[in-house]
Amino acid sequence: MRESPLQEKLAAAGAVFRERHGARVVSHFGDLRAECGAVRDAAALADFSFVRVFTLPETPGLDLLDALVAGNVPKIRFGRVLHTFLADKNGLLAADCFVANNDQEFVFICESILPDAELDALLAFGGKETPVKDLTPGHAVLSLDGFKSWEVVKHIFGADIIGLPYLSIENYQFEGEPVRFIRAGKTSEFGYLLIAPVKIAARLFDTLKTGVEERGGRLIGADAHDALRLEGRFFNIFREGQRVRDPLPLGLQWMIDLEKENFSGSAAIKARRAAGLKQKVIGLAAEANCTTLQSGARIFHEGRGVGEIVTAGVSYVLNQPLALGLLPLELAFSGLPFRVGAPDGAVARSISMPPIMARSLTVKLDEM
Amino acid sequence: MSEQFNQTIARRRQVIDTFKQELIRRLNLAYVPEDLHEDVSLLGSGLGLDSLDALEIVLCVETCFKIKIPDENISVLRSINTVVDFVIEQQDAKGGPA
Repeated sequence: MRESPLQEKLAAAGAVFRERHGARVVSHFGDLRAECGAVRDAAALADFSFVRVFTLPETPGLDLLDALVAGNVPKIRFGRVLHTFLADKNGLLAADCFVANNDQEFVFICESILPDAELDALLAFGGKETPVKDLTPGHAVLSLDGFKSWEVVKHIFGADIIGLPYLSIENYQFEGEPVRFIRAGKTSEFGYLLIAPVKIAARLFDTLKTGVEERGGRLIGADAHDALRLEGRFFNIFREGQRVRDPLPLGLQWMIDLEKENFSGSAAIKARRAAGLKQKVIGLAAEANCTTLQSGARIFHEGRGVGEIVTAGVSYVLNQPLALGLLPLELAFSGLPFRVGAPDGAVARSISMPPIMARSLTVKLDEM
Repeated sequence: MSEQFNQTIARRRQVIDTFKQELIRRLNLAYVPEDLHEDVSLLGSGLGLDSLDALEIVLCVETCFKIKIPDENISVLRSINTVVDFVIEQQDAKGGPA
């Protein structure tokens, strides 16, 4: 199983670990509510070394990546990042990806639900001659998220960081070593990914942790990120993505360049699109004491099973359980009552997502 | 299905269809309405629209539904569904759909 280069440091800080698709990840640090609250109100640091990171030179990286991912790689401007996905040959989700155009190289970041060997086989990258570098073994990836996270990185790397737009990449130095710095959070608050060589990873981690704690924040794990992604209606490949696999009912058409002729799985995806969508995921919310809004639970309407919960969690902002349910198209509208778990089970109402307004959306960093 | 359930769906579907078609036309998006999930984020992630596009959305709602989104109410623009919620709420406040 793949382990983070920060494993010992995380364990010493009280991390509880679990395995996820061949990687050991931090589940939590013992207080999920506080971890979610840290992102909404302050800043939080998480180890994201479970992602796979590759770099490819501009040539032939541009063509190789464009042949793989669903988005349009040639359209990525210098310094910007494309959020897209990688599908297998059947058009089923394999990885949620960022592709960054970074100073004569492309940085390719995968949150994958495939074992490493299967992902490597799918990527292939044009054979052994291609000068692709797998940064995963020699680097740590840190995710800094939260309403005040920009203050932490500004203090360490300088005020330029404030001008970075969402989905952009920049190169900074920490103790003389390069740090690839991406603004690309998935919590709906300000978020940054930092890719740092193992040599400096522990000291960068300590510096960020101190900055976070000085602002009332804390270390957080994958459980908090899962809850925050659901609350902010960010796609989560480890939850609804793994359960549904088909990008179309998940509403990921925005990640696809529909005018692009070929990418991995494109024929299958285009055939399903042409046949017409039959189901889609929608948000559901239940009363605070509801215990049946769980992943895998059946959804009922007028005594008839009509769908299933594909991910569930708790919103600590709303203090109520939230979920995404896969429902037939004719019922996939918000504002409707359903039952979950049994025909006479607890009521869950379909809701418009995201149900919260992130605090970061009320702040204009370039006016700070 | 109950009458109220059907009415809720029919009304919502009408607002969604009108809004999506006008959004695609105004912003020249390379999608058909079925491609746009109602929960897709309008700004930032998702469709990734910018502040000028946001203005187009505001004008789109004004043109289609004769409803004005106040400048300070940017939370309405979180997704297509939140725009539709706002339109239905405002229509109800005025006594029903125009």
